[in-house]
Order: sequence, then structure tokens, then C-alpha cells
Amino acid sequence: MQEGRTPIPYRQINRELLFSILQSPKWFPIAIIILGLIVLGGFSAAGLLVNKGFGVTGLNRPVMWGFFITNFVFWIGISHAGVMLSAILRLSKAEWRRPATRAAEILTVFSLMTAMMMPLIHTGRPWRTIYWIYTIPFMPYDYARGIWPNVRSPLVWDPSAVYTYLTSSILFVLVALIPDFAVLRDRTTGMNHRIYTMLAMGWRGNPRQWKLQIIAGVLLSALILPVFVSVHSIVSWDFGMAVSVKTWHSTIFAPYFVVGAVHSGVSAVAFVMIILRYIYGWQNYIRPEHIDALGRLLIVVATGWFYFFVMEILFGFYGREADELAVRDLQFMQEPWNIWMMVFVFTTYFLPVALWLPRAFRRNLWIMSVACISVNIGMWLERFIIIVPGLQNKQVFTFSWYTVYSPSAVEWTIIGATFALVSMLMLMIARVVPLIPLYDIKEYEVLRTEVKIGRVTVPAVYRED
Amino acid sequence: MVTNRIDHKWGMVVDLDRCTGCQACVVACQAENNLPINTKEYFQQRRAYEWIRIERYWEGEFPNVKARFIPIMCQHCENAPCEPVCPVFATYHNDEGLNVQVYNRCVGTRYCANNCPYQVRFFNWWEPKWPERLRNQLNPDVTVRSRGVMERCSFCVQRIRRGEITVERRGVEPLTGEAIPYAEPATPTQGRYLNYQRMKEGNFLPACAQACPTNALMFGEQTDPTGPVFKYFEKANEQYDKVHHGEYVDESKTRVYRLLEEMATKPNVIYLKKVEEGAGEAH
Amino acid sequence: MAASESEHLHHGVAHGESHGGISGGHYPGMWVFPNPRVMTREMAAKVSAMPQMFTLGLLLTFALLVLGVVGFVARASADGFDDRAPWGYYMATFSFVFMVTSAAPVAAVAFRFTKSHWRRPLSRVSELFAVVGIFNIIMFIPMMMILPPILNPNPVQGHDLEIRRTIWFEGPIGAPHAWDLAGVVGLAVTALFILYLSAVPDMAEARHTATGFRGWLYRTLSGHWYGTKRQWNAQKAGLAMLGAFYFMTLIFVHFIISSDYAQSMIPGWKDSIFPVFYSLTAFQVALGLCLVILYVMRRWGGFQEYYGKSVFWSASKVQLGLTLLWAYHLFAFFITYWFGRLVVEQNIIKYLFAQSYGGVFVANLALSFVIPFLLLLWNPVRRSAWGPPLAGVSAALGALMFSVRVFVGGANSGNIYEAFLNHVPAAAYPDIWDIFIVVGGIGGAAFIYLVATKIFPLLSVWEVKEGALYQGMRRFIRGEYLVLAKPE
Repeated sequence: MQEGRTPIPYRQINRELLFSILQSPKWFPIAIIILGLIVLGGFSAAGLLVNKGFGVTGLNRPVMWGFFITNFVFWIGISHAGVMLSAILRLSKAEWRRPATRAAEILTVFSLMTAMMMPLIHTGRPWRTIYWIYTIPFMPYDYARGIWPNVRSPLVWDPSAVYTYLTSSILFVLVALIPDFAVLRDRTTGMNHRIYTMLAMGWRGNPRQWKLQIIAGVLLSALILPVFVSVHSIVSWDFGMAVSVKTWHSTIFAPYFVVGAVHSGVSAVAFVMIILRYIYGWQNYIRPEHIDALGRLLIVVATGWFYFFVMEILFGFYGREADELAVRDLQFMQEPWNIWMMVFVFTTYFLPVALWLPRAFRRNLWIMSVACISVNIGMWLERFIIIVPGLQNKQVFTFSWYTVYSPSAVEWTIIGATFALVSMLMLMIARVVPLIPLYDIKEYEVLRTEVKIGRVTVPAVYRED
Repeated sequence: MVTNRIDHKWGMVVDLDRCTGCQACVVACQAENNLPINTKEYFQQRRAYEWIRIERYWEGEFPNVKARFIPIMCQHCENAPCEPVCPVFATYHNDEGLNVQVYNRCVGTRYCANNCPYQVRFFNWWEPKWPERLRNQLNPDVTVRSRGVMERCSFCVQRIRRGEITVERRGVEPLTGEAIPYAEPATPTQGRYLNYQRMKEGNFLPACAQACPTNALMFGEQTDPTGPVFKYFEKANEQYDKVHHGEYVDESKTRVYRLLEEMATKPNVIYLKKVEEGAGEAH
Repeated sequence: MAASESEHLHHGVAHGESHGGISGGHYPGMWVFPNPRVMTREMAAKVSAMPQMFTLGLLLTFALLVLGVVGFVARASADGFDDRAPWGYYMATFSFVFMVTSAAPVAAVAFRFTKSHWRRPLSRVSELFAVVGIFNIIMFIPMMMILPPILNPNPVQGHDLEIRRTIWFEGPIGAPHAWDLAGVVGLAVTALFILYLSAVPDMAEARHTATGFRGWLYRTLSGHWYGTKRQWNAQKAGLAMLGAFYFMTLIFVHFIISSDYAQSMIPGWKDSIFPVFYSLTAFQVALGLCLVILYVMRRWGGFQEYYGKSVFWSASKVQLGLTLLWAYHLFAFFITYWFGRLVVEQNIIKYLFAQSYGGVFVANLALSFVIPFLLLLWNPVRRSAWGPPLAGVSAALGALMFSVRVFVGGANSGNIYEAFLNHVPAAAYPDIWDIFIVVGGIGGAAFIYLVATKIFPLLSVWEVKEGALYQGMRRFIRGEYLVLAKPE
């Protein structure tokens, strides 16, 4: 993959990739303070929401779900990059995955945490959600009265899937981090040294440990795959099961959402990679070839997503049911939804794919950034366009149709804060763990070789199976 | 002492031919069930509480315009779409045909409201407030719901329960307070029915049915042949079975229907079509 | 691309580094094959040879085809084309043959696109299905006559729909027949082009030695080919573009065929995942049958040395993935309908999954998912040459069951102009003519494929040769390891 490049010495790899931890850049505290203030604003808004009730949002009677749920689905979507890049590409032995895996996995963990805050904020009485998802043994749940969570509800499937995914993602990250923690253990002193010693769990790098670590990685990749698929499927079934909202009740929702999630997630990771390359100077590791490969993967994912999108729309019209057509009419024909619809389709598919098609554009990091941001704007809009117009015109009785949903400042603040929160957490974790896996890069340096065919040298790798 | 607990199956019939759209039921409901005052603000925010609402449709072109009214309240569906989606069992179905909302369990996910095709579920966006002078007006039998809780028509379950207790269990005439002499029923089914006259006299019917000046809303036991709703439910069920065995039902020959029958929610509220002028000749 | 240019000079390089017993050994990463010159000669010999078993197969499949024609004629004369109900099994047969034929070339197209080296022995086997496309077109003509009109010919006021549910909505000019036919024909023609482009280098290699009809054909079709760099580049670019075009056309045609002939035949069946599900079933069965052909030719056709175990090992992963995806998409459909509980949803589940075609559905689920999944879950089975093809046979039978369930179900759903399916129709069982049609359709397709193997050998010689350049065994620290090169 990394064409025409001389091997990097291990010492240099260690020095450069541990830069973010061992020598923190000067702008770091300033960035954390700014992001922290935004996050604080978001928490204050959430506090106001809890204190005053949901009246402070723009939600109303048919539009019971709005920005929070949109944002929830969006962040769950972003979290799908981690497994897509780490597990699927690891199993399919794509070499170019190596520098992207750690950042993707960590982004997965943080975006899942952020996503799960949304339904909590979104409930009318968050102080009672203990009855819903947190079944902690010592809490006074109604078990004594024989009332258990309703397992028929998609809202019970949902936290089950998401928390399983969160747990396994954290496990996945930690297993992959052990060799890197050992490197850090050997390069730190004092308190840090003791913490990294604990985290490295006695890693000495002997063959048995390596074997176990590799087996654990492959096993976790295979086991996490069904969880990965189930998470966004179940998130989609939060909508798909709602028989009364015509545009939601569509059989294609599960794969449609999963592909969409991979689309936005991989784009987000590509963007994060570009940022990391810029702020930490990792030009040797995050190379245009990697971004190029991500771009090619994204073309396929985007086109697959577009197919599902077209199917969903076509069969919306196919049913020819008046109530569903009314929602479609709202989505496609009436302002402001028709504008959002156009923006959404353009930014999600046509603009980025056009930018990804030429090889030179794929290797231009500025253009890639634009394309990846565009995808994520579009995917946010996608969820918004699915959720809100469907609710606005949800029912058959036209008497109480069409109310406008205009999100309030509280909602905007909380949404903005989630973005700040994820950025802040990413920056903070970069102080603690290397965001590019050291051992994975070194492994590639060992395994890569070349095959000469005639006058041409083709990059090659040693394969173990 | 009489303690024969009756296994009820409540149902309501809405006769659209009798409905004049006077909104008496709406007011009665508002007063009975401790609904916050629907201020102008609430309406503008589209957050008004209307446990029962009169939908008004215009039919035809000017000048031959007809106003159509249809009161819509919770349909108390047998297969209610709102029930399976609640993660905490805050809404569930009891065996009396009532869709029950347990306010204490509700965490306010609002999923039930999304999944209700009749749009009859309401969320407490704000903490409910009443003017000081209305505080004593609140019904002590009905919970005042806090912010963040879903609510909707309960068929005035507090009245039904009171009726059950006074008329069935205690065996007391609601008006005079005399004990009802208990007689062993001649047939096993005979004693299992409620006296509707007594229910009505004792204000044990839902407030809307009680208030309706034209008796457009009829409430009673579906299985009780002496009750007001029995024949309609029998007819509706027969029709339902017919349709779902592929048999043809001429919709112009029958007045009975349920809202959104194709959703298979099986509401416990049925509607009677308006009898059109000149429709008599068709039969 | 540069690799292909110099392959004539350097075909020995990677080969020289490889070691004998590895292909059959513990690890199927690489295959070993004879000298390219020998390979071309042997392929020519295999194409012209007529072993007894092959002749027998040819006769048998032809007999089946005749049976099918008899069944078709009997059905047509007994029932005519006005009513679609008697034609359910014909539609199912068409669907099955169409699924396999149309999806098979994708195996070559897709894995060429992902630059998977293991696909090389598989490419020709899958591309050769293009020839069966002609049979598809012939089988498709009666289908158009069966399809009920989009506009209701005699609507009952207020009861039936005036325009039935269809993806063509108001029925634009020529819809659906012209579009469906254009799709089926376009697909077949594109597949033939792909076959041609892919076979040109091999034909050029063999044109000097082949005699008779084959010699004439090879000379005519590959007269211009001299293997220049420009020609190789054009061929590869052509294959890539045609492949992409083929894939997209395929998805579209699967969509229109599955919705026109199955989904819109059951009133009120609104299932947006169905075309996806149909395509998935097609990919699963097509890959499976390609592996079956590989296995048969490897075991009895003398291709032992050409079809290494790496094909089965790597294809089995894809097969496992497709099997899991199949179940996933089925579940995504099922949970939505199950939870939705609309009248029409309940009836469709009762009709196609539980009551009327419940048995067929159970068979379909077992053959398409349970059996292949349990087989492929097991590493020794996936590493073997017989495991993945066995799963393929199971998937093929499952796809047949799927076609029967969905297409026969669609044909027998009663009044198509109803607003929605408000009752559960009874299942339709095949009579003798239906059985003739089913075996005839499948036999006919197999017959054409068998004939085609006498024109093109079942190995893409140039691809295998090219693949050898990209891999080799090298010493690494303490052992011998496979080195895989990927251009670009």
C-alpha cells in the first residue's frame, strides 16, 4: 500500500507516535478549555430542560421526537466506523486499515457514549430511567412487584444492543492497546508509569503473549460483527416498528441504516485521520494512500447506501396509500423539506462521490475533508428528514395535520455540545493512549515486501494464512 | 353481601348521526380528568390536551358545504400499537378492554405517542398549573400528572371503579343508598351484568357519555345483551370476521365501523356512520 | 496493469519460487499449476474431448428440456395465458434460472474489482453463465403474456383499485413489458460482452491450434489480439466498466423482475427489502453453483491441478457472509411485518411464511440458511473442496423453494386489483405439467451451459497466469510464507 517508501525505524515510530502523549502541544489546554465551555453550556441546557420540562424544546404533539433522537441516531451511526475499519478490514486482511483502526475504535466508544446520553436527555423524566435501562442490582426496581422491562419494546432492544456494543468496543480497544501500553510503561515515570504498568497487564512481548493477543483480536472482531450489525438495525427498528408512522414502517430500514451508518462513520474517521495528521504531524503514518483507500471504500459504501435509499423511497410511493403519499409530498415537495431533501441527497451522495471518483482528489486531503464533512452533514439531515416529516403527517385523520417543528435554543445548544464533547474526549484520550497503533504499524513494516515483475516492483505482504 | 366481581369488557359506541359537534364532551372531560387549562399559548405550541376532541371536516364545495363531526378519543385498542413499544410497561392492556396508563411508571420516551395512529396520546410538556381559584375544582379521584408523563383518555376509569364498588360489590343503590337485595341468578350469566340505569344514575359512566346531550356517545359492556352497545359490537365483530375470511361486505349496507380497521388494532370504540339524507331510498 | 504486459516473459518467476505440496497441504493460500504452455494445450484438449459422462449429461439435460417443452405446451393449450394462476410454477422456474444465470457473472466481476487473487480459477466458470442468458430471454417471453394489465379492466366501484400496485405507477409507455424485456436482454448481452472480453486473450492463444468450428470462432473473435500493452489496458478497462455496468443493471433488473412478478402480484405487499433480498438470494445461489461446477470439474473433469483449494476456502467466506446476510435480511423483513401487525401484514405472513406456504418456507429457511450456515461455520468443512459446494447445493435448493414460495404465491393470490390482501389464499400444488416445466427449465439451462463448455474451456488461462506472477513463497525468519502482491 505505502508505495516507494523507505522503512521507518522503530525508534522513530515510537518517538513520533507517542508525541501526543509524552510532549503535549501548547494549544492543548486552550482547546480543551474552549471545548469544555461548550460542553458545559450543553449540560446547563440539559439541566434547564430537566428543571422546566420539555416545554423548553420545540417539540409538540405529533412531532414527539426531534433533534435529540436525530442526534442519537447520528452518533450511533458514527460509532459504526470502528468495527467497520477494525473488525471487517482485519478479517478481510486489508493492509491499509492499520493506521486508522485505533482512532476509529476510540471514536466508536466516545460516539456511543455521547449517543446514549441523547435518549436520557430526551425522556420526560430522566430521573426515572433507572426503570428502563439501568437495571443496577441495588436500585429499587419494581422487580418485587413482578414488573420487568417490556422486552417487546424496541426501546429495550436498543439499549441492550448499544451497551453490548459499547462494552465489546471498549474491550476491543483495550486488547489492542496492551502492547502500546507496554511501550508507554517503559517510557514514563512516577504515577503514569504505575498506571501504564497496570494497564499493560504484564506485557513482555513474548511469542505466547503475541499469539494470545492476536487470537483475542481476531475472535473479538468476529464476535463484534453481529453486534455491529444488530446495533444500527435495532436503532432503525425504533422507527421501523412504529406502524403508525407510515414512512418509518419500512422493511428495508435495518440494512439501510447500517449502510448509512458505515457511510457516515467511515467518512468521519477519514476526517479525524486528516485532523490528527495535521495537528500531530503524523505524515509518515497517515499517508494519502490510506485516505485514498478509504475514499475507494466509501464510493462502494455510498453507492450501496444510495441503492437502499432509492428502494426506500420507491416503495414508499409503491404502496400508493394516501397517508404515506402525504408524508412523501411533505418531504419532497413542500418547503422547507424539499430544500433539505435536495441538500441531503446532494451532500450525502452526489457531491462526495463526485469528489471521490478522481484519484487525484482522493489523495488531496483538503478535498477529502470537504467530502467527508459533506457526508456527515447529509447523514445528519437524512435522519432528521426521516424522523420529523414522518411525525408531522403521521396519521390518517387530516384534522390535526402539519405542525411545524422548530427546534429551540436549548436543543441547538445540546446538539452543538455533543460535537464539542466528542472532540474534547478525542483530544483528551490522545494524551493518554496513542491514536495510531504502534505495534500494528511496526507489524506492517515487518511484513511488507516487494515482488518484482519484469521491470515493475509491486508492493506485497507476507501472509500468514 | 354481594361480592360477585364481574369480568367486564367495556366498549363505547359513537353515533355520528347524533353528534352535533357541541363540544360538551370535551368540556366534561377537561373538568373530570384534571386536565390543565388549554391556554392560547398551549394551542399555539400545539401542545393542547384533548383527551377527547371533535374533529371537524368540511365536505363538498361552497355553497353546498356540510360540516362533519367526529369525536375521537383513545380507542382502547385490543391490539394497541402503543402498548408493545413502551419499554417500562407504563401502558398496558387490562382484561376489561381498557388501555391503562400507569403514570408512575412512565419515563416519557413518547414512543407510544408516535405509534398511536389515532393521535390521542398527550405529553405533559410543562408542569401542569391551575389558577389559584380553580384548585378546589380538581377531581380528588384522578391523579394530577407531573411534567414528562404521557396521558390519555382512560374511559374515566375512576368512575367505572366507583360504579363497580358501589353497584356490584356493595350492592347499594347509588341514589338512595338502599341495599340491593341479592338473588341467586337463574342462569349463570344473568347475574353477571351491570344495571346500566343504575350506572347512569350514579354518574358512573365516562364524563363525556354522561355529558352528551344527544346521547351520541354510548358506553357499556360489549357482551351484555341488555346494554346499549351490545348489538353494535356484535355486528362489528361479525363484519370483521367476514372481511378477514375473504368475504365481501357491502359497506353501503352497514353503519358500523371501526377507525382504521386495516391496522388490525381492534378498537373497543366503534362508530356509526351518519345517515345521509335520502339514503333511505337506497335500502 | 504493467504486470500483464510482461507476463509472457516472466511467467516462471513466481512459479519458480513456489514449492510442490503446498496447494494440498494444511493451508490453501496458494495454488500451483502446470507450465502455462501445458495449460493452454490441456485446455484445448479438454474443450474438444467428449467423455462418456459428458455425453450422458448432455443427453439427460436435453431430455429434460424436451420434457419442459412438453409441459409448457400442455399448460399453454390447457389454460391459455389469460389467467396467471396456472403459471405460478413457470414463473418460479424462470425466477430460479434467472437468478442463477444473471448473478453468476457477478462472481467474476466483483472479485476482479476487489483484486482478489483467489478468484482467478473461478472467473470463467461464472462468466460462462452468460451463454445461458439466451435461454432466459426465451423463457421470459411467456412471462410477459402472463402479467396482468396495470389498469384494472373492469373495476368494481369503490372496491377494487383502478390501477393495481406496481412499481410502474400509472404505467408509462411500454411498461412494464418493454422495460422488463430490455432489462433481461440487456443483461444477457452485457454478460456476453464480458465473457467475450475476458476470453479474448485465451482465444488468441488457442486460435492457432484449434481446428474446425472452434478454430474459426477463435480466429474470428480474436483476430485483432496481439497482446500489446494498449490492448491489455483496453481489455482491463473494458472489463471493469462492463462489470460495473453489469452489476448496476443486474440490481435494477432484479428489482423490476422481483417486484413485477412477485411482489406486485400480492395486493398490498409493500416490502422495500424484497428486491435486495431477491438479489442476495441470487448471489448466494450463483456463487454456490459456481463452486459446485468447480468441484465437479475438479473431481471428475480433470481440473484437479487448476482449481486449487484456495478458491473454495476464500469463496466459502463470501458464501458464509452471504448466508448470514440472507438470514439478516429475512429477519429485517419479518420483524417489521410481525411487529406491524396490519391486517395485510398478518395475512402475508400467514400466506407466505406460516400457513399456506409454511412448509415451503421452512424448507427454504433450512436449505438457504440453516444447512449452509452450519456447514460453513466449521473450518475443516470450509477448507475442504466438498464443503462449500455442498452448501451451494443446499442454497440452490433453498433458492428454488424461495422462488416457489414467492412466485407461485404471487400467481395464486387471487384478485390482484384488491386494495390489500384481506384473507389468506390457499397454497397451489404442482401438477404433472408443472413438474415437467420445473425440471425442463433447469435442465434446459444446464444443457446450454454444457454446450458452452465445449466452446470455451472452464479456465481463464490468462488470469491464472497473471495471478502466478503476484504470489510466491519466500523465506521469512524461520519459515516459508506466502507473499501476495497487489498492484496499486
